[in-house]
Amino acid sequence: MSQEYQKTNNTDFSVIGKSAQMIDGTAKVMGTAIYADDIKLPGMLYGKILRSPHAHARIVRIDTSRAMALLGVKAIITGKDTPVKYGILPIGQDETALAVDKVIYVGQEIAAVAAITEEIAEQALDLIDVEYELLPAYLNADAAMAATDIFIHNDRPKNIEKEYHHNFGDIEKGFAQSDLVLEDKFSFPRITHAAMEPHSAVANYDASGKLTVWTSTQTPHYVHRGLAKALQMHPSKVRVIKPFVGGGFGGKSETFSCDVCSSLLSKLTGKPVKITFTREEVFYAHRGRPDQSVHIKLGMRKDGKITSVYVKTIQDGGAFCSYGVVTILYSGALIAALYDIDNIKFDGYRVVTNKPACGPMRGHGTVNVRYSFEVMLDRLAIGLGLDPAEVRLKNMLKPNTRTVNDLRVTSYGYKECVEKATEHSGWAEKRDKLPFGRGIGIGGSHYVSGAANSIVRGRMPHSNVSIKIDIDGGVSVFTGTAEIGQGTETVQAQIVAEELGLPLERIRVIAADSDITPVDLGSYSSRVTFMAGNAALFAARDVKNQLLRHAAEVLGESPEHLICKNERIYVEYDRERSITFREALISALEHSGTVIGKGAYTPPSESQGGRFKGAGVGPGVAYSYSASVADVSVNPETGQVRVNKIWVAHDCGRALNPLAVEGQVEGSVWMGLGQALQEEQIFTPEGLTLNPSLLEYKSPGAIESPDIETIIVESIDPEGPFGAKEAGEGSLAGVIPAIANAVYDAVGVWITSLPITPEKILKELNKQKAEQKKK
Amino acid sequence: MITMPQFRVLQPENVSQAVEFLAKHKNLRVLAGGSDLVVNLRNKLFTPEYVLDIKGIKDLQGIKENQDHFSIGTLTTLTEISQNPFIKEIYPVLAKAAGLVAGPNIRNMGTIGGNICLDTRCYWYNQSYFWRKSCNFCLKKDGDICHVAPGGKYCWAAYSGDTAPALLTLDASIKIANPKGEKTLALKDFFVMDGIKKYNLESNEIITEILIPKASAGLQGVYKKFRIRDSVDYPLAGVAIAGKVDKEGNCQKISVALTAVNPAPVLVTEITDLLVGKKLTDDLVEKSVELARKTAKPMKTTLSTMPYRRHMIGVFVKQGLEEILK
Repeated sequence: MSQEYQKTNNTDFSVIGKSAQMIDGTAKVMGTAIYADDIKLPGMLYGKILRSPHAHARIVRIDTSRAMALLGVKAIITGKDTPVKYGILPIGQDETALAVDKVIYVGQEIAAVAAITEEIAEQALDLIDVEYELLPAYLNADAAMAATDIFIHNDRPKNIEKEYHHNFGDIEKGFAQSDLVLEDKFSFPRITHAAMEPHSAVANYDASGKLTVWTSTQTPHYVHRGLAKALQMHPSKVRVIKPFVGGGFGGKSETFSCDVCSSLLSKLTGKPVKITFTREEVFYAHRGRPDQSVHIKLGMRKDGKITSVYVKTIQDGGAFCSYGVVTILYSGALIAALYDIDNIKFDGYRVVTNKPACGPMRGHGTVNVRYSFEVMLDRLAIGLGLDPAEVRLKNMLKPNTRTVNDLRVTSYGYKECVEKATEHSGWAEKRDKLPFGRGIGIGGSHYVSGAANSIVRGRMPHSNVSIKIDIDGGVSVFTGTAEIGQGTETVQAQIVAEELGLPLERIRVIAADSDITPVDLGSYSSRVTFMAGNAALFAARDVKNQLLRHAAEVLGESPEHLICKNERIYVEYDRERSITFREALISALEHSGTVIGKGAYTPPSESQGGRFKGAGVGPGVAYSYSASVADVSVNPETGQVRVNKIWVAHDCGRALNPLAVEGQVEGSVWMGLGQALQEEQIFTPEGLTLNPSLLEYKSPGAIESPDIETIIVESIDPEGPFGAKEAGEGSLAGVIPAIANAVYDAVGVWITSLPITPEKILKELNKQKAEQKKK
Repeated sequence: MITMPQFRVLQPENVSQAVEFLAKHKNLRVLAGGSDLVVNLRNKLFTPEYVLDIKGIKDLQGIKENQDHFSIGTLTTLTEISQNPFIKEIYPVLAKAAGLVAGPNIRNMGTIGGNICLDTRCYWYNQSYFWRKSCNFCLKKDGDICHVAPGGKYCWAAYSGDTAPALLTLDASIKIANPKGEKTLALKDFFVMDGIKKYNLESNEIITEILIPKASAGLQGVYKKFRIRDSVDYPLAGVAIAGKVDKEGNCQKISVALTAVNPAPVLVTEITDLLVGKKLTDDLVEKSVELARKTAKPMKTTLSTMPYRRHMIGVFVKQGLEEILK
């Protein structure tokens, strides 16, 4: 199908724009949804993984004989069974499922056991003898970059995974034209996704040599590729099925050791094997947001216009590349596309360390730099005696522009976001006017609505959807997308229902089974509503056109004058003339059998970015925009922060399902709140994660939630399905600086490192008191 | 999920049967609500041969009146204690503390006896077997080093119960059943300032009742708790205060206890000595705060820092004294 976007501004929708309950929601609420760990196959064995107690060590010897002798143990594999390197990025093929020769972080996989019970498998781990020869461990970016001889990966000298140096415009000229230039250094701890469901895989290598893997993943297609490579199998012999998934947030976007090890153990034993990570193991699998330093310099004219921005940032990415190259590039690329800035310079370093590997996490790569930028923007505004909200309005882009680093911006609702968020929050009456201890702050953010470039280079469509309609009148939508709780199946069903003029309950979605459903790249970079939504729309249009041809014959009218609505097909200019959808369907079935259609979405080449090194990351097929305002109370005696309310105005193009949009925005607020105030993955001096549990890793709970008011802004994107853009990630990055800026408004201190703990606030308040005394 | 160690479950129907089991089996752990024990079993902190599930003993539930005391059965849930109108009325400090334990579902499971007998906590101890093995274990379990105070032979794991400090301010005692019969022990003599020994309870003993003197009825009470998340966390610093003023506004009775900042909950008796008979002044508040801060000896056993936990002890003592005595 050709890619033809919605031509009209028709808003007379039946399904689109209406809040609909998730079509898979009831099963979740009733507890009947089947997740990977719920799957039990006859004769199934349980797998457990032995992990490294050392951050960096050579493996001298592994002896599995004592473990193998334990009654009930069926197979044990080690690094010699997993020699093939894989990784999510073509330039980052640096992982094996089990360590070969050496271990490079505490928690790395060394051996995997399959046994008849989980208990026996766990007992067997303690019987595997491993002898290590310790190597120097690099537990932060500085230490890793200072290494002179022993490196974590031999092909990464100085332990630098990748560095990028981008220079657009002329920052020095911009700084020279500024009335105020400020610079500071911010630091960010490592944080993690804390999805409710841990990683889990069930593998069944059957007698015919076919491997089926049920796995908790956001990217079944990439896992399909990863498994085929790691196991050296033809992809057609591997079937990947994604069952219900209990959240991902970026943490399940590649092949994990549970996938590879369960498969190998199944092949060895001839029995299905399940491996479910413990919560602690999820912290070792990690792939969360890296520890990061951001050195930022920002210039402003006295009218509030931003002149130049310079950012130098270093990310401690942990032991493997994972998505790391993408993470560091996003940090630089998305300095642009929120505000109109002529001069941007960026130096970014992604460093390998002896800690669990980082990866993509909601707001991938953009969040920490955005925090630094938005806080500096407030400091400049205050320094120049300007209102921070006004300053943001002063630097707006225009729709349909290209940024200085060649990002194509189409729809742009940020101005309306700032206006609505300030209006709803009573900004003008509150800012700088609340009593000491109470404050209000603003933060802006944006995010790609689908990465315009795939991880796997080529011209393959990024999303494919096919549709089948048969005599029962139900519409089967086959899609490769990965529903992970965000509502991808519901939104595709809504799109198809709208296009075919059918009620939502007529649509059924069959998703994420590589033997059955067409390829979709997965749930990452907030791409699904836009890309799979378009593919679903094109597929629906394909079957619609087939049905209209038959309806046209019956009605004696040309197909382009027909519309589908209310389960009927009408003549658009004469609504008295119509037939039922079913009549048209039967006519089509009688003529040529099952009605089958398909749609595919490929990003337009003009959206895919510039030609410089690293230009591939940052381009989105569209961008979402968001403004957050936070109202906080700070107790000056304890330093404790209470977030009273957060207003978020989010430009999602068009809200196809407002209920789902609100849910996503609220989720972003909670996640941002956690990073802002509480969350931090902490390590011992030896590199062991100190808090690998949901009790000690402090994600906020419901009681910590402020009131949240979501304001939906609809900029109607010219290329999104019915004008839609993303809603899942864009708000998060604005929430955190909104809180920090509100803390300043409340008590007059800036916190440059996250999380903003009571202790840091007290320390700054004491400094403030000491300085006031001096005066 | 981390697996459970294997054990046999014993389910006595009454106290004497429970005591029989206790006398018979050495390697045994008592299970009441399970909210502390089950996690510790999964972490292989305990690998008992038997688990004595006392939940079915009806006699150990509920609140009764005796001659000089009100008695709370050891199995009474924290939810019941926090919501019981009678307790709220006469022992508000206890109702408040019980209502701030963890979150609602844990309060529904957790019992007062179990809360008193919480194991002490330390982030080098409350970890999985793999984790502890990775750093060669620690003094408290399976090892011989302390990561908190390297070189030391004393365990600093923090006592992290919420109800014990409240009960200390009420001068409570506990009734203990053992193969020899019954005994009563003042709660302040129950706890031991040692993260490993924790309290004076032999392996063949169980707490059956908590006795609160009628003389403590009607005291005003506050319990203040510092934690990162009000939705679930253990205390990182906690202060319980019970007391009252006389008609002239002088302090007639005052009792202050701290939790989560030492290996045992502890009464700051110096504050009682300082304040009784006097009107509360800013100076006395300041002195009380100092006494409390001196008593609190938090160590690096949690993710929150030692100075901040001690600071919060001071803040709570100040707030609490002003609420009760002003």
